[in-house]
Amino acid sequence: MTAIIATTVFGIIMMFTGLFVDNKKTVSSIAAVLFVALLGINIMELSDATGPALRSMTLSLLGTADNTNGAFPQLLFNNMLRIDKMSMWFGTAMTACTALYILLIGKEFRKVGTHVAEYFALIFFILCGLYILTAYNSMLMLFIGIEIMSIPQYVLAGSDKRNLKSSEASLKYFLMGAFSTGILLMGITLLYGATRTFNVTEMVPMLHSESLNPLAISGIVFIMVALGFKVSAAPMHTWTPDVYDGTPTAFTAFMATIVKAGVFFAFLRLFHVSFGNISEHWLMILAIVTALTLLIGNVTAVYQQSVKRMLAYSSIAQAGFMLFSVLAVSSNIAWNGIILYGVAYSVATIGVFAVLVKMKDYTYDGFNGLAKKNPLLAFVTTIFLFSLAGIPLTGGFMAKYYVLLAVMHQGNMMWLVIFALLMAAISVYYYFRVIIAMYFKQGDPELTSEVTMGDQVLLIATTIIVILLGVMPHWFLMPA
Amino acid sequence: MGNFSQLVYLVPLFPLVGFLINGLLWNKMPKSLAGIIGSAAILASFCVSLGIFFEVKSASFHEPVIVTLFDFIQSGKLHIPLAFQVDQLSSLFLLIITGVGFLIHVYSASYMSHDEGMVKYFAYLNLFVFSMLLLILGANYLVMFIGWEGVGLCSYLLIGFWFKKREYTNAAKKAFVMNRIGDLGFLVGMLLVLYNFGTLSYKEFFATLGTSGATMPPATITAITICFFIGATGKSAQIPLYTWLPDAMAGPTPVSALIHAATMVTAGIYMIARSHVLYSLAPFTLNIIAIVGLATALLAATIAIFQYDIKKVLAYSTVSQLGFMFLAIGSGAYTIAVFHVMTHAFFKALMFLGSGSVIHAMGGEQDIRKMGGLGKKMKITSVTFLIGCLAISGFPLLSGFFSKDAILTAAYAHNPILYALGVLAAMMTAFYMFRLYVLTFRGTFRGTHEQEHHLHESPAAMTIPLIVLAILSVIGGYVGIPEVFTHKELAFNEYLGPVVKNFGIHEIPENTEIMLMTVSTLASLAMMYFAMMKFRKPAFPESTGIAKVLENKWYVDELYDAIIVRPIEAMSGVLDRFVEKMGIDGIVNGVGKTVKWGGDRLRMLQTGQVGFYIFIMVIGMVALFTLSFFWIR
Repeated sequence: MTAIIATTVFGIIMMFTGLFVDNKKTVSSIAAVLFVALLGINIMELSDATGPALRSMTLSLLGTADNTNGAFPQLLFNNMLRIDKMSMWFGTAMTACTALYILLIGKEFRKVGTHVAEYFALIFFILCGLYILTAYNSMLMLFIGIEIMSIPQYVLAGSDKRNLKSSEASLKYFLMGAFSTGILLMGITLLYGATRTFNVTEMVPMLHSESLNPLAISGIVFIMVALGFKVSAAPMHTWTPDVYDGTPTAFTAFMATIVKAGVFFAFLRLFHVSFGNISEHWLMILAIVTALTLLIGNVTAVYQQSVKRMLAYSSIAQAGFMLFSVLAVSSNIAWNGIILYGVAYSVATIGVFAVLVKMKDYTYDGFNGLAKKNPLLAFVTTIFLFSLAGIPLTGGFMAKYYVLLAVMHQGNMMWLVIFALLMAAISVYYYFRVIIAMYFKQGDPELTSEVTMGDQVLLIATTIIVILLGVMPHWFLMPA
Repeated sequence: MGNFSQLVYLVPLFPLVGFLINGLLWNKMPKSLAGIIGSAAILASFCVSLGIFFEVKSASFHEPVIVTLFDFIQSGKLHIPLAFQVDQLSSLFLLIITGVGFLIHVYSASYMSHDEGMVKYFAYLNLFVFSMLLLILGANYLVMFIGWEGVGLCSYLLIGFWFKKREYTNAAKKAFVMNRIGDLGFLVGMLLVLYNFGTLSYKEFFATLGTSGATMPPATITAITICFFIGATGKSAQIPLYTWLPDAMAGPTPVSALIHAATMVTAGIYMIARSHVLYSLAPFTLNIIAIVGLATALLAATIAIFQYDIKKVLAYSTVSQLGFMFLAIGSGAYTIAVFHVMTHAFFKALMFLGSGSVIHAMGGEQDIRKMGGLGKKMKITSVTFLIGCLAISGFPLLSGFFSKDAILTAAYAHNPILYALGVLAAMMTAFYMFRLYVLTFRGTFRGTHEQEHHLHESPAAMTIPLIVLAILSVIGGYVGIPEVFTHKELAFNEYLGPVVKNFGIHEIPENTEIMLMTVSTLASLAMMYFAMMKFRKPAFPESTGIAKVLENKWYVDELYDAIIVRPIEAMSGVLDRFVEKMGIDGIVNGVGKTVKWGGDRLRMLQTGQVGFYIFIMVIGMVALFTLSFFWIR
């Protein structure tokens, strides 16, 4: 709650900063401070001691009385938002990932264009959408959250105005996003027609497995398609490679990771809380979508020549794995699974992108001989790629283990788990191509900027997080 | 009395530290220091072992002490800790391994001092002792198996220590492969135990066997025992897997003494003695063990008579003596087998070290046809070697006399035929041992003049271990003076009694026992005399007939080559050509090619046109709707 307000306020502050501060470095520093402050507010709100005090203070500033006695879950704004501990935990984890992202990649914003402060402001607004998506209790808030998240992304995608590819990406994303927004709205409408409520929990008794209104099924499929579009599940994935490739690399890193994880949390929340009882009506459809996503993401990634485009396909493939947490309706580790996967995937991908923005040539050949030129960069990239491929002792392994285990508990999805493992084996091919290029090929890769001491420290810290995620995953999960 | 049993983890820790120091600093360490570190590590272990031994021996020690270090495997109901078990059996083996091991380390420090790989040698040797101690101390079969594999590895490394000679590395490979065949048996047995009893811990396993063992299907028990015994035939060089041991003599002689005589090869005996509760439920397997043991004892003894390589004679003698131990086990006399392990460790280590001293003096020559008369130049080696020969031949009141007669008595109690054949093997033992002694140390020198000039007694670091082992070979048997002489329970049995219970031994009348003892002793003495007379004036004619067969070790290696190695090679050739190259490679490469091809096709969907993308999306949606309305119901 406080976080939602804080991120909006911080976004506005950044816009004003853009008006009055010319020095881009100062702007970046202010942004970094604000992101860390946002993380602090999240943590305070999460902690039992300071949380209630912070919230009642915020509410009194807004002129509303605190009537929730300070305990989770809090129902706010006429039950439109429901902030529970899990959503706070996830929001905090994603904020932490964003802070890491800003620290690692934030200074690359300056290379994209002149409106650095606005870029930061947009990211604050995206976070606002993410918080709403973690806490929505009404379909309307889901819609609003998705839109708050999406519109800044359209802008970010086109932020490199002089670059035709960037403008194309922005337009493509916007056109297709608008299409999917329509579908989402359609789905919500149909579901409202079937249940006469927007409320996520109140609609549960209206949805009976035996006498399910066909409107409800249609609504669920529409919503699945719309959310699937946002997380780039096949066959709604087609925008992903073009948009991620065209968007300035610094922003792709954000769009492909934290944003996607946020939508997944919303996906999981809706389908487990509202549609959990009628899972037999949508589970098989979603399983097919998952299988298709895994297949297309992994197989197409094999053929790419550009690492950036490969990462776009890899994000489709990873989405296939994250869909497993949605599939695991009857498992109680699905929520922890999505948190772990979201964090592990985000951190590792942000790490790879942090290296990628430093490279002049985004093709595989551009990485040739990086291990000789800059051993540290090559090493951390290797660890990040290990994590993405799901090699043990890295976060990616644990994350995959959690989501696959959750589905195994489900039963009768064994074929999908085996298929996913085969696909994970294929993913090793295209991830390791980068490692092979770095270590076993001759070349002299050019870097766009120097790797400073600060970069090195941050990259090593990120590597340590990736390994900790793999060795001590319970540190990152919500304590029971 | 201190609480030494809680410190048991120190015993394997010292050799491990020694291994790490020597192993990591192999190119920096001075040679002399490597020997000191290696020996000191074993000495430290020996001291702790001594403390443990006296604690276990004291009256206040009842139950085996289990020291758990940490959980090794924890998965579902399966729970396997890395734990050590201290009891009478393990403490006795601790003493043998660290005690004899220490003497051999000291000996090696001198024997290997001219070798450039000495630091590496001591690293391996310490690693071996560490693995052997794990094998002995483990409180469950898995820890034993880790040690079991570890000693196999070290044996491989040390047999092929002089890896520049092709035949030595071949010998190492042979040892490794033969051992692997046995290890597979052990592993399968272990999995069967796990499957049927859900535990690998000795304590739980034997407790379950004690309460419900009699109701278990006999086939299960027999299968497990046979599998374990296959493991034992590999490690302890029994028929049909014994052929690696004579070849293993390619390693440095102290290695032969430590690994291939005193310790590692007795691991099979230890394993079965440890599992005696299991074996006592499987009389069928015990009979097989007795027969295999006796057959090995006889076969190896016949080969030993016709060998001319000093180490080969000792190697076949080891195989033969191990056969005796298995005969004891097969007769249900587990403690007697362990007793013979101990005395054999003393006199066989002594003779190997003695032969090392001889080889050292002869400048690397191992052929006894070129020796003779060495006794005049090498008094200590000669006398200690003679003591060893007397002990192994069962000369009255030396250690081998007690243990071997105990085995023969137990065999008689089981079946008189076993006794008769056992005596035959013992007679052959006496014969080939004295043949070896006389040809080496008596008569006149038959080598070159240069070699004769070079002959000298070995330095003190080598002779002192010989003397210590000779003393042990003399007195080591007094822990097991037969009941007929003392009218008390065998002291050795009394010590092992709490953990190892013998099975199905009939009491035999005292008069019979004394008579049996007299017969076997007189027969052995007669053979000693016969050998002394026969080889006083040696001649080495070309062997013919049966002698030629025996000199060529019954052609067993050639037989294995023809019936196992070549068919397998031919089969793998066929598999390589048809299954591997065409089948598996085809599938593997085919999968890769299919994925690449698929990627290439799917890539084409990415046209870059928004209209087409939305078209795909709509098609997808229609498909999903169709599925959810017409298929899911």
